[in-house]
Amino acid sequence: MISVKNLSHLYNKEGKPAVNNISFEVEKGETFGFLGPSGAGKSTTQGVLTGLLKLQKGEVNVAGYDVSHVQNKRFNKIGVSFEQSNVYGKLTAKENLEFYAKLFDVETRDAQELIDLVGLSGKENVRAGEFSKGMKHRLTFARSMINNPELWFLDEPTTGLDPAIAATIKDIINAQKAKGTTAFLTTHNMYIADELCDRVAFIIDGEIKLIDTPKNLKLKYGQKLVDVEYLEGGKTKKETFKTIDEADRNKLAEVIKKHDIQTMHTKEATLEEIFIQVTGRGLV
Amino acid sequence: MKLLSTYLKEMKIAFRGFYFYIEVVMAAIILIILLVAVKESPVSKEKEFLFYDMDEEIVDTFFKKAFEDGTMVRVDPVDFDVKAQEIEITDKETGETKTKVFEKETITADAIEVYNPDTGELDKTMFITDTEEDMIRLAYSEKTIGAKIWLDDSYKSHYVYYTQGYETERMQSLLYILHNDDIKVLNDTADSLTVRKLGDVEVLNNRQNLVPPFIVLMGSMMGYFIVIAYIYLDKGEGVIKAFAVSPSAVWKYLLSKAFVIMTTVTFSSSVITIPVMGLQPNYLLFYVLLWISTFAFAALGLFIASFFDNMTKAFGILFGGMMVMMLPALSYFIPSFDPVWMRYVPTYPLMQGFKEIMMINGDAKYVLTQCGIFLVGGIIVFLLANVRFKKTLTV
Ligand SMILES: Nc1ncnc2c1ncn2[C@@H]1O[C@H](COP(=O)(O)OP(=O)(O)O)[C@@H](O)[C@H]1O
Ligand SMILES: [Mg+2]
Repeated sequence: MISVKNLSHLYNKEGKPAVNNISFEVEKGETFGFLGPSGAGKSTTQGVLTGLLKLQKGEVNVAGYDVSHVQNKRFNKIGVSFEQSNVYGKLTAKENLEFYAKLFDVETRDAQELIDLVGLSGKENVRAGEFSKGMKHRLTFARSMINNPELWFLDEPTTGLDPAIAATIKDIINAQKAKGTTAFLTTHNMYIADELCDRVAFIIDGEIKLIDTPKNLKLKYGQKLVDVEYLEGGKTKKETFKTIDEADRNKLAEVIKKHDIQTMHTKEATLEEIFIQVTGRGLV
Repeated sequence: MKLLSTYLKEMKIAFRGFYFYIEVVMAAIILIILLVAVKESPVSKEKEFLFYDMDEEIVDTFFKKAFEDGTMVRVDPVDFDVKAQEIEITDKETGETKTKVFEKETITADAIEVYNPDTGELDKTMFITDTEEDMIRLAYSEKTIGAKIWLDDSYKSHYVYYTQGYETERMQSLLYILHNDDIKVLNDTADSLTVRKLGDVEVLNNRQNLVPPFIVLMGSMMGYFIVIAYIYLDKGEGVIKAFAVSPSAVWKYLLSKAFVIMTTVTFSSSVITIPVMGLQPNYLLFYVLLWISTFAFAALGLFIASFFDNMTKAFGILFGGMMVMMLPALSYFIPSFDPVWMRYVPTYPLMQGFKEIMMINGDAKYVLTQCGIFLVGGIIVFLLANVRFKKTLTV
């Protein structure tokens, strides 16, 4: 569905490239995530893929179209949700969606249905200018699925939303995924990447450091950890042991033999911990 | 279809914003000013140009009594700056026509103020020239009547009147009655093909004469300004990006903006023009020129907007542009200020074009030529704006 070879993008000639020589492929039906901190080059990549930014260097093929030859028709099967919401403040939620639907040549979804879906029921006749940031973001998100896109670009779909609404958005994305929609998703939230993405690319400073499934990453980089709480001399002691470390394993066996164990559970490394391990930097 | 729904959506937004109302309210204010504060009467009735083809002492005897009783007062001579002209003079009786070509020059004429004997108010100013040609030129430039007066051997006075071609038959018969058959009414009409100036042959009264510059101000200039304002509203909201990732082309978005401006300007210009001009103008030509020129200026606005991220950054060039575009109004009102470069400022031919439309015997060919030029220019600028917009969409 998406094929990117050696893509680079510079905003100003003297400056550092915002995206530097990246390559990746996204299969049909796959949800592919770009995980990286702010300024890593995620939105820039989405910009080039959606044709908002001119392709400067590299080969990019999206949904069967070479993006260096602009063809508006391709957007009939593409949906784009933006990091910064962009709806007409002077139009109501419903008018925003109804107008946008008219721009497509394919069958579109009912505006009211989408409004209900993203939890804006009852606000359909309110002008978007009166919406909170989160509501505008949801409207922008709803708009991106109006044409039943085969390929869906989601730039930070849950950023800035409160947890309950973020969960709704996650459910919607999962439901679309079940219908076979291919998604390109950017986020700096490891949970989103972990829960929604079939494969994740770690991106930092415009470069992709690795691409793999969240599960493989955890198997490969995650050390299995065991948290143990036990009694020693009437006091509760807490310790964490790495199961891949021989000395730790022996110590753990010792503790189990000699002391009264109160709690004990294993813990997987999070994607963020793996990200730090791979790139040397955190996600914020 | 997409263009239509985009246009309808833009109109909806325009009606919910305030620029549309600003434009229409300003037009209404201008209309009120024109109707209340501007008198209809043309300036020309207050001036008269005379050439006495006789000795000065004899001329003095004409005025002696009036000078003594104070109904006439000699004041300082006046310098008139006259543009280069080509004047066609037709003899009303024989139909004989001759053309005279004149250079730009300064003509000095003696001035005599004439007061109403009953009220004591200033009636008019008579200007007495040294030559017949000076009289013809000044009468023509100042759009008023001129006369040559001479005495025959029996000291009987004879008048030759020079009128503008457009004076009514009634007015001309009046001159015949006044002087019986002692008079030869000559007709001079403008042939402005080679030299065209703002303020040539005028058939508009004072109030009507103000309509063309206001139309250009309210139409083209406001259109240019408002389209930029609209673009920055949209840039602020980022909606252009959403448009750019739809199957509809960016040019449809831009064109719908231009259409909104054209609709707004149709309202505002009609508010001014129809009440003041009534049925006199050729409205078909009027709206064609209005729409084409507004489109061209909207395209210019779009083009400029594509270079700057926000209104503040664009303000310098936006404001400078408006200032330059308003300069031709100076030439329009001050006939002696007419530098050649001014004619290349687009609003100059535009004001002239609207004036031709307002006049009874306006030059339709000139108007259509301007329509063609503005249409071609507008399309080129629009295409450039389209290219620019595609390049400046950012994530
Ligand atoms: N319009 C722009 N002009 C110049 N630099 C930009 C622009 N947009 C983004 N950048 C720079 O490009 C880099 C990548 O930005 P971006 O793609 O937005 O990152 P992300 O989406 O991962 O947060 C950053 O260093 C950012 O400052
Ligand atoms: Mg981003």
